Amino acid sequence: MQVDAATLPGDLPERLREPALTEGLVTAGGLDDQVLAFPETRPPKQWYIALAITLSALGIGLGCIGYTFFKGIGAWGNNSPVFWAFDIINFVFWIGIGHAGTLISAILFLFRKRWRNAIARFAEAMTIFAVLCAVIFPLIHVGRPWLAFWLFPYPNQRAIWTNFRSPLLWDVFAVNTYFSVSAMFWYLGLIPDIASMRDRTTSKVRKVIYTALSLGWRGAASHWRHYEKAYLLLAGLATGLVLSVHSVVSFDFATSVVPGWHMTIFPPYFVAGAIFAGFAMVVIVMVVVRESMQLKNLITTRHLEVMNKVILGMACLMGYSYFMEGFTAWYSMNEYLHHGFKNIISGTYGWAGWLTISCNILIPQLLWFRRCRTSYFWMILVAIAVTVGMWFERFVIIVISLHQDFLPSAWRVYKPTVYDFGILLGTFGLFFTLVLIFARVLPVIATTEVKGILPGAQPEHGGHHG
Amino acid sequence: MAETFAVLGLFDSADALAKAIPGVRDRKLGRLEAYTPYPIHGIDEALGLRRSPLGGMVLVMGILGALTAFGFQYWISAVDYPIVTGGKAPWSWEAFIPIMFEVTVLFATFTAGLGMLFLLNKLPFFGHPVLQSKAISAITRDRFALALEAEGATLDPAACEAALRAAGAREIEVVPAPERAPFVTSDFVLRSLGGIFLACAGAGVLMYWAVKLFPVLPPMSYMQNQPRLNAFKPSAFFKDGFGMRAPAPGTVARGHLPLGAATQEEAAGLANPLPRTREVFEMGKAAYHNRCEVCHGALGKGQGSLTAAYGAKPANLQAQQFRDYPDGKIYWAVTKGKNQMPAHDADLSETQRWAVVHYVRALQRAQNATDADLQQAVRR
Repeated sequence: MQVDAATLPGDLPERLREPALTEGLVTAGGLDDQVLAFPETRPPKQWYIALAITLSALGIGLGCIGYTFFKGIGAWGNNSPVFWAFDIINFVFWIGIGHAGTLISAILFLFRKRWRNAIARFAEAMTIFAVLCAVIFPLIHVGRPWLAFWLFPYPNQRAIWTNFRSPLLWDVFAVNTYFSVSAMFWYLGLIPDIASMRDRTTSKVRKVIYTALSLGWRGAASHWRHYEKAYLLLAGLATGLVLSVHSVVSFDFATSVVPGWHMTIFPPYFVAGAIFAGFAMVVIVMVVVRESMQLKNLITTRHLEVMNKVILGMACLMGYSYFMEGFTAWYSMNEYLHHGFKNIISGTYGWAGWLTISCNILIPQLLWFRRCRTSYFWMILVAIAVTVGMWFERFVIIVISLHQDFLPSAWRVYKPTVYDFGILLGTFGLFFTLVLIFARVLPVIATTEVKGILPGAQPEHGGHHG
Repeated sequence: MAETFAVLGLFDSADALAKAIPGVRDRKLGRLEAYTPYPIHGIDEALGLRRSPLGGMVLVMGILGALTAFGFQYWISAVDYPIVTGGKAPWSWEAFIPIMFEVTVLFATFTAGLGMLFLLNKLPFFGHPVLQSKAISAITRDRFALALEAEGATLDPAACEAALRAAGAREIEVVPAPERAPFVTSDFVLRSLGGIFLACAGAGVLMYWAVKLFPVLPPMSYMQNQPRLNAFKPSAFFKDGFGMRAPAPGTVARGHLPLGAATQEEAAGLANPLPRTREVFEMGKAAYHNRCEVCHGALGKGQGSLTAAYGAKPANLQAQQFRDYPDGKIYWAVTKGKNQMPAHDADLSETQRWAVVHYVRALQRAQNATDADLQQAVRR
């Protein structure tokens, strides 16, 4: 571990100094050769095998969606009173996965956590892909997806407008804004990197494509000052946005009167859960990426350890949220809330409740041990547990709350069909297909950002003591 | 146009670049610019660059976004399409806040991103001379260039080279000015984008009016404009202005055969056609409860619950006068009404009215029962 002497005050004791963000000797040029070389070379055989698997999953999902269009929503297990099931669970799940990317790229940027630079690009890409997976579900859930544009307020011959007092419409705005802003943020970060690729490549076709995509970026100091300002502003705006998006998603539930949904804790609870699930996904993907693409010197063990610490912190926050949910149910002295909470820990779906609690709270406690934070086996185990647990958390919130509400005569046990599982599998296929393509087409690490934090990258008396 | 666009001096480190800037700047040989692979902190001031105005632009557009979202939602929810949902007033502004926030962020981020690229940095610009230089591939990789660029027509390449060398530049490259201005300049792109934007805005306004106006132009029509009769409005169809024709004289409505008696006295001769069965008494009882009891009372004594409220004096059916009435006169009173009593020919069918007569007779007999009646009942 070497200490970045140029950017740190020298008088700090050793243990208080920030350790280096990269391992071994990394130079700006070497970084380009390491990272920007991927798009210029043919992918290995394993990449094609992985792509074949993810494309198959995507194909299964598309088939199931096609069958749903042909047959109607009756192809799914949804039925009164469980009108929201896999479709909305998957929507909330994927939107949540996206949140880690924005947290890493925007919130950690504002906090000047410079270790984020190495993983920000991939996490942002995951955000965009996850939101793409998420938006599929409201569209197919409406039943007549060819009329999904009715969600938007536009002047129409029917002379009717959307209802701005509905959280479902807030969702439309929040998710679309989130996707646009994430894409903008991602693209701005890519421009200087694509300019580097433009000036590296020898292929004429690539040169034209990269020139167009980089908009003729030339690295002028007069441009950088606007660029940095824009990046800072975007980070600040995206920070507020990411907190609002899952809050708005939680309003879909919290503004209703269903026992188990109608709680003020929902917005922060959803945001924490989203970041939790997203970080787990980032850890899984990052481990695969750093191993398969030989990026261990840039995405170091320390990166993984810090991300695992975030997961641990979020797990504790989730534990608090679950406890508060139970406390609210008990303290409300409301028999419907009592019944709803009893359903989580016992009853037909009691297993799902306990699975959620074990996966999201108990298993992540392993990360208190440094050995588990730095060992692939344990961190992957925890990350997969968290991914499964967070999916089931949404199952618990949605299906358990709906399947037994006020009227016992309306109760019904929900059973998903094979098409529900097929569409879920399909979105995983879509997500990892996009991840795989991204990993071979665009720089997986924000080289420009990492160059700026390498030792000696900034002038010695530049007044920058990050 | 000057033959030389710029003279580039290449440095190996950000530190060397930062140290070289003040000396070169003081010579005032041309416009000073730096080209670097990543942002170098602290050289903006040395190069004499002002602070980016982006923050102010974003603030203004963010506020505009909030106002746009509020105005849009207010106009739709309270003016153009005021529908009460969830028991909330059409102008319930609290519900507009989430979308106001999202639109604020949307306007602000697009201003920050696109404003930075298009307005401030004048990108895309593919024809910039530095992009054609040999040094550009080193600049976007790991080297740092200090450039003296032509302002107007005066740039002395030899003097620039000497100044940069003196400041410590490792290599010098003279970038020639392009022979002709590139077709795709930033201004061209900006103008095109502006044109597209204006065209879209114009098309949007036209679409809006087309969508609003087209359906109401003839021969289209809305459902509320269909040919129909309105109450109390003259009809143009008939000469007398009435919308409907009076029925032919002597027309009898279903279930409303004429009574066959002009006065109550004449009706005394009518006989009750119904048999005195349990079903008939049940029917008469139900009709009496629904229509008669509120005034005449449950026992027919004229003390119903509405009596006090309206100050009416309904007949006491148990009085000797009414016990002596023939069935026909009671039937006539039920059908036509009497004094304050309304007519019931519209509420009760002929059968129901006759059944009521039977029931009134039963009430009268029950209230004035004799020993003989009792013995008859016991025997049964």
